[in-house]
Amino acid sequence: MAALTLPLVRNFPEIQMSSRQSRTLGALIFLALASACGESGERDYTGMPEFCQEVLPRVDAFLAGFEHPVGDRYGGTAAVGAIGEIPGGMNALITSDHGASQHQLFVNLMTLVRFDEEYEPAPWLAESWELNEENTEITFHLRDDVFWHDGERTTAHDVEFTYLRATDPETAFPNAAFWESYVRGPEGVEVVDSFTVRVRLEPHAELLDPWRAVAIMPRHLLEDVPPAELRDHPIGTRCPVGNGPFVFDEHQPDAYWSFTRNPAFPEGLGGPPFLQRYVYRVIPEQTTLLTELLTGGVDVYVAAAPDQAPRIMDAENIELISFPFRQYVFVGWNTRRPQLADARVRRAIAFGTNREEIVEALLGGYGQVANAGVPPMHWAYSVEIRDSLRYDPAEAQRLLDEAGWIDRDGDGVRENDAGLRLEFSIKYNRGNQQRQDIAEIMQSQLREVGIAARPEVLEWTTLQAQITDVENRDFDGVVMGWITEFKVDDRDLHHSSAAETPYGWSGTNDPRLDRLLDTLQLVVDRDDARPLWHEFQNELVRLQPYTYFYFTDRIVGASHRIENLTMDVRGEWVSLKEWWIPAEHRRAGER
Amino acid sequence: MIGYAIRRLLGAIPLVLGIGTIVFFVLNMAPGDPVSLFTSPNVPPEVLDQMRRNMGLDQPVHIRYLRWMGAMLTGDFGVSFARNEPVIDVIRQLLPNTLILSFSALLIAFVGGVLVGVFQAVRQNSIWDNASSVVGLFFYSMPSFWLALMLILIFSLGARNLWDWPIYFPASGMTSIDHPFLSPAGQLRDRFMHLVLPTLSLSLVLAAGVARYMRGSMLEVIRQDYVRTARAKGLPERTVIFRHALRNALLPIVTLLGLLLPVLFSGTVFIETVFAWPGMGKLIVDAIGQRDYPVVMACSVLFATMVVLGNLVADLLYAVVDPRIRYE
Repeated sequence: MAALTLPLVRNFPEIQMSSRQSRTLGALIFLALASACGESGERDYTGMPEFCQEVLPRVDAFLAGFEHPVGDRYGGTAAVGAIGEIPGGMNALITSDHGASQHQLFVNLMTLVRFDEEYEPAPWLAESWELNEENTEITFHLRDDVFWHDGERTTAHDVEFTYLRATDPETAFPNAAFWESYVRGPEGVEVVDSFTVRVRLEPHAELLDPWRAVAIMPRHLLEDVPPAELRDHPIGTRCPVGNGPFVFDEHQPDAYWSFTRNPAFPEGLGGPPFLQRYVYRVIPEQTTLLTELLTGGVDVYVAAAPDQAPRIMDAENIELISFPFRQYVFVGWNTRRPQLADARVRRAIAFGTNREEIVEALLGGYGQVANAGVPPMHWAYSVEIRDSLRYDPAEAQRLLDEAGWIDRDGDGVRENDAGLRLEFSIKYNRGNQQRQDIAEIMQSQLREVGIAARPEVLEWTTLQAQITDVENRDFDGVVMGWITEFKVDDRDLHHSSAAETPYGWSGTNDPRLDRLLDTLQLVVDRDDARPLWHEFQNELVRLQPYTYFYFTDRIVGASHRIENLTMDVRGEWVSLKEWWIPAEHRRAGER
Repeated sequence: MIGYAIRRLLGAIPLVLGIGTIVFFVLNMAPGDPVSLFTSPNVPPEVLDQMRRNMGLDQPVHIRYLRWMGAMLTGDFGVSFARNEPVIDVIRQLLPNTLILSFSALLIAFVGGVLVGVFQAVRQNSIWDNASSVVGLFFYSMPSFWLALMLILIFSLGARNLWDWPIYFPASGMTSIDHPFLSPAGQLRDRFMHLVLPTLSLSLVLAAGVARYMRGSMLEVIRQDYVRTARAKGLPERTVIFRHALRNALLPIVTLLGLLLPVLFSGTVFIETVFAWPGMGKLIVDAIGQRDYPVVMACSVLFATMVVLGNLVADLLYAVVDPRIRYE
């Protein structure tokens, strides 16, 4: 043995030392070691990708040079619990998930503009901007005091880089539709000076929106990465380097993300956040998550189920926050099917379904009936259609009679004159109780008006494959949900040109609707656009490509420990930077 | 015996590769594909095609199979579609958590199960035997999912919020939020406290099964002539039971060990979800739902290997505890 190890020691003294060291430590105090690193301030990067081992020490060194602010409000840890991981993490070029977007926008990264309380664009990374007369050029003036967490300054080159990568088809940026009316590629962007950048576009509605929705990524770290490999880069989930108010600290997959205060965050934007540390915990089972909220394991429970609301309200020191969200649930109809081709039949389905009752029963009041995909808080929402298509079985019967569907053989189900029964399936995905309830309630209510609806459950990925398969469209009706952007654009759902694309489920082909959909995206001024938006929503009520069910409210349980916690349709994390915890409510040992 | 072990290991290689092959083709026959994660009308079909190309999914299935097999044989399991990092890194981060959980559960289940089984056999048909049999059957027939939720409601929520017990257990996770600020001893205690409920819910079911086997096996042994001889020699009852009877009664239980491994892995799927324990069970279930082919493949191969190894260990242990068995 000795003969074997001695030359090794002589040849590779360092390797031998370090591996022996780590083995001994690992074997003896493995449990303590794995976590002790966070305490001393020196993080352990062994086992991480090379990129991380290189960049994280630079982050630590840079931020160590800043004083943390002192005051009553500064300090403590806030823990947010939710059921899912953050897919794609802090890589803004590959993600489309809500939680990921929230963390990029409000935690780790920065966008050029952000929405204020009125949902109007406000300065963030960009101090100011101006549009030319024709609305074909935007010039952004960036702040000069924002640093990437590794010490590099954030400049116009980062904006250019992000734009080029996001519009490069090789990257496969999931929200490519954001930039649809922009001039993509190098012709579309120009760095005027280090803090001024200009982009080119065709005039269109809500033209600043992509700059609110997509965070800027660091050029100096990612420039040499081929676009197609960006999605697998460790900057996403292993060691994100952002420029936002919170610095990445640690990520244990399927367990938690931890971030710490960025002491270098510019004073001009309110300075560093109050919280010393922010932790995102992944707890997949909702009952467990509620228990953790009630026992102090998390401070905030994001997106609680409606049936958990009473428990949250009854709990001591816990507050229930609910706010209308941009999410709606609907049944999409395959109008290529002869039973569902007639809009009168689809309207009869809406009249024959008691949606008010369903909202009350399933959401316990945390939601409201929808008649189109424009959310109630949106400036373009039409109040007039709010009460359309109220439950009216008699009207449903009349419409069906008028459309020629009559129960000819007395079996309780209507037929048309060709003998086709008014019968169809409503598919939904396994494991979603609300959607199952919707399909089953519809089945029983529609039976009353002579329609035979048949709920059918499928595994999620299989269901998706069936409904997005352009060739077959193997479904009649499907219970689904969308989260809309602030910039509503339903062309990909209801425009006739979408009928042969994966998401053109309904196959709607209506010239009037097409014209409205096209025009709406071109009108820059909101006052000019509003009447058109209202007309558009009326058309949806008439055509019924979907039976819209409801807009859901977000339900959040929050501990009273945390002050200044506000949430709205911009998202749960919108005010994270302003949250603070009084010293007496901080956990033992927390700074 | 070493030669036997080597032969068994060599025989296991085609077995594991065969399992991998079957899983690969079955998985690829399932409808849907990994890019369906990005279900959103914002994503144009061209982008999805580009994603497929970036992931190498544009190749026909037999080419992908050969590539996967070739890469795997060189130790490369590819990059996870859903997690955007090398599968081997994902597993390296999650496998230790599952091992901690399943081995502590296995340990508790065996020690507890054997002790209860012996006790029941010695006091056969007593009130204690009957009572513990009923309790054991109760746990044996419980779905572990439900049992886990009950443990959380009682020992976490109830203990802390309703009854003010001096001790309560955290409902989920492996560490507390303030873990980094605890002393080393405090951190160890923190980890232990987090391990208690998941281990209990996983091991109670197993222990109940082990106890039933142990009771039966012990009853058989206790009536053997050599046990009577031991008693007749005047040995203390303790020595008779633990030295002479238990050793022999343990034989069938050791075989059980190999059979329990797959049960244990499937059990962790539910337990990890309920207790938010970041491990392999949840990883593979998520990966199947997301059609994350590289992760599913790597996990299948890993589980297959572990089950094969587990069975081998059980067989070898059998030879260790039973001198009559010799592997050549």
